[in-house]
Amino acid sequence: MKLSLFEIPLGPQHPALKEPIRFIFKLDGEIVVGAEPRLGYVHRGVEKLAETRTFIQDVYLAERICGICSAAHTTCFVQAVEELLGIEPPPRAKYIRLIVFELNRIQSHLLWLGILAYEMGFDTLFMYIWRDRERVLDVLEMITGNRVLYAINQIGGVRHDIDDKIAAYMRKALSYLRERTKYYKGIVERDPTINARAVEVGILKKRDAIALCAVGPTTRGSGVKFDIRADDPYAALDEVPFNVVVYDTEDVMARTLVRIDEILESISMIEYALDHMPSGDIRVRVPRVVPAGEAVSRVEAPRGELVYYVRSAGGEKPERVKVRTPTLANIPALCKMLEGAYVADIPVIVASIDPCLACMDRAIFVDVSKEKVWVWSERELRRYSLRWYRSREGVRRR
Amino acid sequence: MSELDEISKILEGIPHEVKKARERRIFVQVPSDKLWEAVRRLRDNVEAQHVVTITGIDTGENIELLYHLWSPKVKSLITVRTTVPRDSPSIRSIVDLIPGATLYEREVHDMLGVNFINHPNLARLLLPEDWPENLHPLRKDVKLEELRKLIFGR
Repeated sequence: MKLSLFEIPLGPQHPALKEPIRFIFKLDGEIVVGAEPRLGYVHRGVEKLAETRTFIQDVYLAERICGICSAAHTTCFVQAVEELLGIEPPPRAKYIRLIVFELNRIQSHLLWLGILAYEMGFDTLFMYIWRDRERVLDVLEMITGNRVLYAINQIGGVRHDIDDKIAAYMRKALSYLRERTKYYKGIVERDPTINARAVEVGILKKRDAIALCAVGPTTRGSGVKFDIRADDPYAALDEVPFNVVVYDTEDVMARTLVRIDEILESISMIEYALDHMPSGDIRVRVPRVVPAGEAVSRVEAPRGELVYYVRSAGGEKPERVKVRTPTLANIPALCKMLEGAYVADIPVIVASIDPCLACMDRAIFVDVSKEKVWVWSERELRRYSLRWYRSREGVRRR
Repeated sequence: MSELDEISKILEGIPHEVKKARERRIFVQVPSDKLWEAVRRLRDNVEAQHVVTITGIDTGENIELLYHLWSPKVKSLITVRTTVPRDSPSIRSIVDLIPGATLYEREVHDMLGVNFINHPNLARLLLPEDWPENLHPLRKDVKLEELRKLIFGR
């Protein structure tokens, strides 16, 4: 006889979330045996809307799909349109794109690392990391004038140049960040709290990561060497050397270390790009009418592979714009990770794919056997999770 | 042997057209009843087991489906193109070949009304539960004003 069977719908609302999501968890006692996602709570119809706007307007629309990886969206869309137009942006523009893109990755990964610390109840670390993240935003603001939606990319190039003054400031900020990131890496590796919450939690086997088409740090934490920057280079990536970071322990810890090492890689890439930046124009003039054709553009956004498919019928407006964000690609893998996990590990595992879904707004818990329904806020679920761990301190799980 | 010849050889027996759009971008066209078989052969022979996404486009008479597959072996994004009739769009699901395609097929089902045969769970993914049964927002005859009226009531 099954003891108590629980079904837990989780979500969907969340203020800080790009794609609010709802899960229905099937529980056997404390253990999740199945997770079924439901999406679309903030489906904004961007793909439909893009068909009614011009290509130039769509650059701004694309930027607003995600506030955290806005540079990724515009780069990806602009590249697709440039391919249709048959033009190449000037070499200097490609370097500037790469620099902004990697700065974007650094701030995104730092933001995520802070949220992970918060989910684990390590608020001091969370605040330190977010303080340091401000330095990256300062650099981005200096280059582009904006802290969140950079509006740096345009069809045919970029809008702002990087002069010596900005470059000097950037180098100082980067060397500070390198020291800080190394320090955080030491904390993550050694701290017993983080180890208890991250090691052997949220396992995603390598074969599952491949079969479920996971992307980004999620798949690289499972030992899969899959990085668009290496496989399908864009911007100035064919000229800037870097390493693809792969860890193979398949757990939350692996995904954390992948991101931390990627911050260090990105810092080196930006420094190299600053040293080797060609001089010249930063944009070319482009016609408003885009010839008929189709193009698929891919970039490695902070969360993984981002894809745009753009088709033009030969006009000022696109015939079709298809966007596939990395979070959607990682949802099947996330459901797999949650199978066999404890309820108390849900926040950390969900956070580990970096879905802009670091914590759940509201959870309704249904006890089927007792016909009881109760609602937990995200704060209460987090508190439950932390209490659960405190009460089991020193107990070897599994 | 160039990658195009290699793909042609793999797809032998299936009527197909293959072209290279640019470096690392290959487009293949196959009939809809042979799509499953084409994906299976590409998966088994050129490691094209990463479904990037599935794009659906309403072209007026037909619905065009583009299966974007990344193949590390030929270092190319292979886009397999097929068309299904707009009034009764249905095609065999590839979820049994590549489990990662499940959400993409559900998305196309929601947005364009394509029926994926053999899909384990073709429930609504993105549209709300009370959305009209036969209204597929990405079809070209659905106007933005109509959607606005439905969602906001004005």
